[in-house]
Amino acid sequence: MRLGMIPLWLLIAATPPMARGQEPRLLGRVPDPARAQVDAILDAARVRGLPVEPLLDRALEGATKGAPPAAIVAAVTRLRDELVVVSRAFGETASTAELTAGASALRAGAGADDLARLRRLRPGRPLTVAAAVMADLVAAGVAADTAAGAVLALAQNADDADYIAFRRNVQRDIELGASPAAALAVRIRSATDLSSTPGSETMPGTGASRKRKP
Amino acid sequence: MTEREDSLDPIIEILREPAGLRADLTDRVMSEVDRLPPPGIAALDRVRWWRRTWTIRLSPVRGLGLAAGLAVLALGVHLAGRRAGPATPPGAERAPEGQPIQFVLIAPEAQAVAVVGDFNDWSMSATPLARTLGDGVWHVTIPLGPGRYRYAFVVNGAIWRNDPEAPAAEDEFGRANSVVTVGGS
Repeated sequence: MRLGMIPLWLLIAATPPMARGQEPRLLGRVPDPARAQVDAILDAARVRGLPVEPLLDRALEGATKGAPPAAIVAAVTRLRDELVVVSRAFGETASTAELTAGASALRAGAGADDLARLRRLRPGRPLTVAAAVMADLVAAGVAADTAAGAVLALAQNADDADYIAFRRNVQRDIELGASPAAALAVRIRSATDLSSTPGSETMPGTGASRKRKP
Repeated sequence: MTEREDSLDPIIEILREPAGLRADLTDRVMSEVDRLPPPGIAALDRVRWWRRTWTIRLSPVRGLGLAAGLAVLALGVHLAGRRAGPATPPGAERAPEGQPIQFVLIAPEAQAVAVVGDFNDWSMSATPLARTLGDGVWHVTIPLGPGRYRYAFVVNGAIWRNDPEAPAAEDEFGRANSVVTVGGS
């Protein structure tokens, strides 16, 4: 090696491996050329300010499940596109968990407008659980627009525990034989009735209320 | 007194005579002193070498190589900065500090059970479940921060099972997922 090239090699060696487009966790798990394609998607996501962990998780999930390489690349690409939409709806300050949950809601059938409205209704508050409940309700059999409407109806007063209890009770009602629409209607009516009571905040999952903290 | 000492006497006499100084000596010395810069400025001049013009000779190949290296370094710094942006650092997600979440599967016939998911790189070896003695209840507890995590159980390293107690989650690879949502507010 010529001495004149030493600075160049030092510079390359000092560059982080991630910046060179090689995600070490994909090595040995996702075969080439799919790995190179996923690496390129991750690099582009970094440049756009998107989180790469959800994308990496999706690729590793496909690898563990023995999916064909093309299916892994397609799944990562689709999730990347969803994260772009959610990032616009939730804003640049959204956390990785919020973006991931928002992508799940989007996948379940919620609209980008629903997610943007959720952001507006809960300024400065975490959106992860609210968005996740949207997706979970759809998975339980609730229509996507109905699920989005329910989550938005609770957005101003419910905290994370309220949302989780709400989802759990709707799912339990469905398992006991109620139709998804009926289960949701009963639980959301109970929650919104409580939220209209002066001096109380909703406990949609339990049907109880508690005093607001001073 | 020896003959040798006698021969030195004239020389000693000459050396003992006062030296004849030129009349303008003082003016010349002071003129030279005035031309010297103050001590502080002299120190600055010594460190101003970097302000001089330097000529670096490079062949085209070395020049291109150096430029490429700088570009790669700049890109690396840029991308590292983007990664450290508003999103949660990956390391924090892989080692979450949060609520202890218990995963339970009843599988009396199983020899080994693992949970794979968004919290452990979907690794079959990362999170094995422990078997309660005397029954078929397998369990493990993992601390998870706020978020929505998709997961599944893998029995005997080959049989995929979802969690009957948890909501179903989206799957694109033909094997069912469950989901756990951890709140933070």
